[in-house]
Amino acid sequence: MTGLVTSAGLAEPLCPRDDLRSGFPYWLDSFRAMLRYDWGRLRQWVGMMVVIQTLMGAGMVLMYGFFYPSITPERALYIATGAPTLALIPLGLVMVPNGVMQDKLQGTFDYVWSLPTRRSAQMLSTFTLYTLMALPGAVLALLIAFWRYGVHLSLSPILLPAVLLCAVMSVTVGYALALAIRNPLVTNVIVNALIFVVLLFSPIVYPASQLPGWLFDVHRVLPFESMAQVMRAGLTTGLATDVGLSFLVLGAWTLAGCAAAAWVVGRRH
Amino acid sequence: MATSDAAGLILPFGTVQRGLRRSLRDYVSMVRWHLAGLRIWLMLLGSVQALSGVGFVLGISLFFRHIPTSAALFVSTGVPVINLVMVGLVFGPQLVASQRTAGSYEYLRTLPISRAVTAAAWYTVCLISGIPAVVVSLVVAQLRYDLPLHISLMIVPAILLTCLTGTMLGYALGHAVGNPMVTQLVSQMLVFIIFGFAPILYPIQQMPGWLGDLNWWFPFRHMAVVIRAALTSSADPAVPTAYAVIGVWAVVAAALAGWSLGRRP
Repeated sequence: MTGLVTSAGLAEPLCPRDDLRSGFPYWLDSFRAMLRYDWGRLRQWVGMMVVIQTLMGAGMVLMYGFFYPSITPERALYIATGAPTLALIPLGLVMVPNGVMQDKLQGTFDYVWSLPTRRSAQMLSTFTLYTLMALPGAVLALLIAFWRYGVHLSLSPILLPAVLLCAVMSVTVGYALALAIRNPLVTNVIVNALIFVVLLFSPIVYPASQLPGWLFDVHRVLPFESMAQVMRAGLTTGLATDVGLSFLVLGAWTLAGCAAAAWVVGRRH
Repeated sequence: MATSDAAGLILPFGTVQRGLRRSLRDYVSMVRWHLAGLRIWLMLLGSVQALSGVGFVLGISLFFRHIPTSAALFVSTGVPVINLVMVGLVFGPQLVASQRTAGSYEYLRTLPISRAVTAAAWYTVCLISGIPAVVVSLVVAQLRYDLPLHISLMIVPAILLTCLTGTMLGYALGHAVGNPMVTQLVSQMLVFIIFGFAPILYPIQQMPGWLGDLNWWFPFRHMAVVIRAALTSSADPAVPTAYAVIGVWAVVAAALAGWSLGRRP
C-alpha cells in the first residue's frame, strides 16, 4: 500500500500523476492559470491605477504647457504627442517595480515561484496584464491633450505596433529592474531618480534638437526618445521620420529586459 | 526614620521646572533627537533636494531653443520655494505616517515636552535641511544664466515664513489625518500640484485665469511672490497681501495640528 496516506484521510495516492506534464499545451495551461491568478490579485487595483495613470499623463501634459510663455503650434504638437509616452513611463517604471517590491515584501513572490507552473508563463502573464492595463491610461491622456491643445493629429497604422512596443518595453524594463536589484530601497531610489531624469531631461515634449550634443547622444541609446519618436510617427505625419532605428532601440531594450528578467527567474535561490 | 526615607524615594525629586529655561532645554534636546534620528536621511534628503533644485534650474533650458531670461529667472527664484517646503510638507507627513506604523509616534507623544516646543524643533530641522539646497540652486542658476538677482534683507522673513507655513501644513496633515495611506497619497498629490499647478516656477499669466484665481486661496502662489520679491529688485505690490495669506495659513495649520495633538486618541 505504498503511496496511500490513510492517517491523513487521503485516499489519493501521493505519487505524482502518471505522466509528467510538459510541452506547449502545459505551458499554455500554466499561462492561462497564471493570468487568472494575477488578474484576481490586480482586479481591485485596476480602476485606481488607470485613474492615477491618466491623471499623471494628462496632468503632466497640462503642466508642461504652463511652462511656456506662448504655445506655438509646434510646441502644442510636441506636447500632445508626448502625452501617451508620459502616461506609459510611470506605469512601467514606477507601478510595476512597486508592485514587484510589494510582492517581494509580502512573500507573494516566493509563493508564486513555488507554484508548479512555468516561470516563463508566470512572467509573461504579468507582462500581458500590465501591458493591457497601460493602454487605457495612454489613450485617455492623449484624448485630454488633444482636447486641451486642439492639435490636428493624423493616425497611421504604425500607431498600433508603436503603442504596444512602448508598453511592453516599459513593463519589461521595469520588471527586470525590480527583479535584478535585491534591495527594495535601492529600487525605490533608482525609480524616483529615473522619473525625474525622464520628465526633465528627455526629449518627449520638446524636439531632441534642443539638447546639447552629448545629451542627444545619450538619448540615442536610452529608450525614452525612441518611445516619443515612434508615438509621434503614429500620431502625425512628417514630424518623426525614419523611425526604424527607434523601433530597433525599443526592441533591443525589450529583449534586454526580458533577458535580464529571465536570467533572474531562471536562477535558483 | 526608614519610613520617611522610603516616602522620599517615591516623591518626585526637586521642583517641576517651568518657564523659558525649561522650554529651551526641551527644544535643544528635541532638535538633537530629530537630527540624530534622521542623520542619514537628512544627508540624503539634503542631497536629493540640492540635486533636484539644480536639475530643475538646468533642465528648464532644454524646453526652449533659447531660454528667455524671464523664464530662467522665474524658475531660479521659484526653486527655493520648493526646496523650503519640500521637507516639511512632503517628507514630514510621510515621516509621521511611518512613525505611526512603527509605534514611535505614541512614544514621542508620551515625552514630557510641550507640543509647541516639539513643533518648533521640527521647524528648525526643516530649515536646516532646506536652506543649503536653496543656496546651491541659486548659485548654479546664477552661474548658468547670469541672472539679475538682487538679494535684499527681506529674504530672511520670506524664507522663515515660507518654511514655517510649509512645515505647519505638513504637520497638520501628518497629525490630523489618521490613516498613513491617505497621508501618503495627499502628500504625493501636493508634490504634483506644487511643481505643476501652482504658479511657482512660471508666471501666473501662463496658466488659465480661473486656476490663477483658485491659487490665490492657497499659500504656494504667495510664497513664490515673497521669495521672488526678496531675490529680485522688482517691487511687487502683492507682497503685503502675500505675507498676510501665508501667515493666515501658518496660523490655521498650526491650530489644526495643535488641536489634533491635544486630543486624546
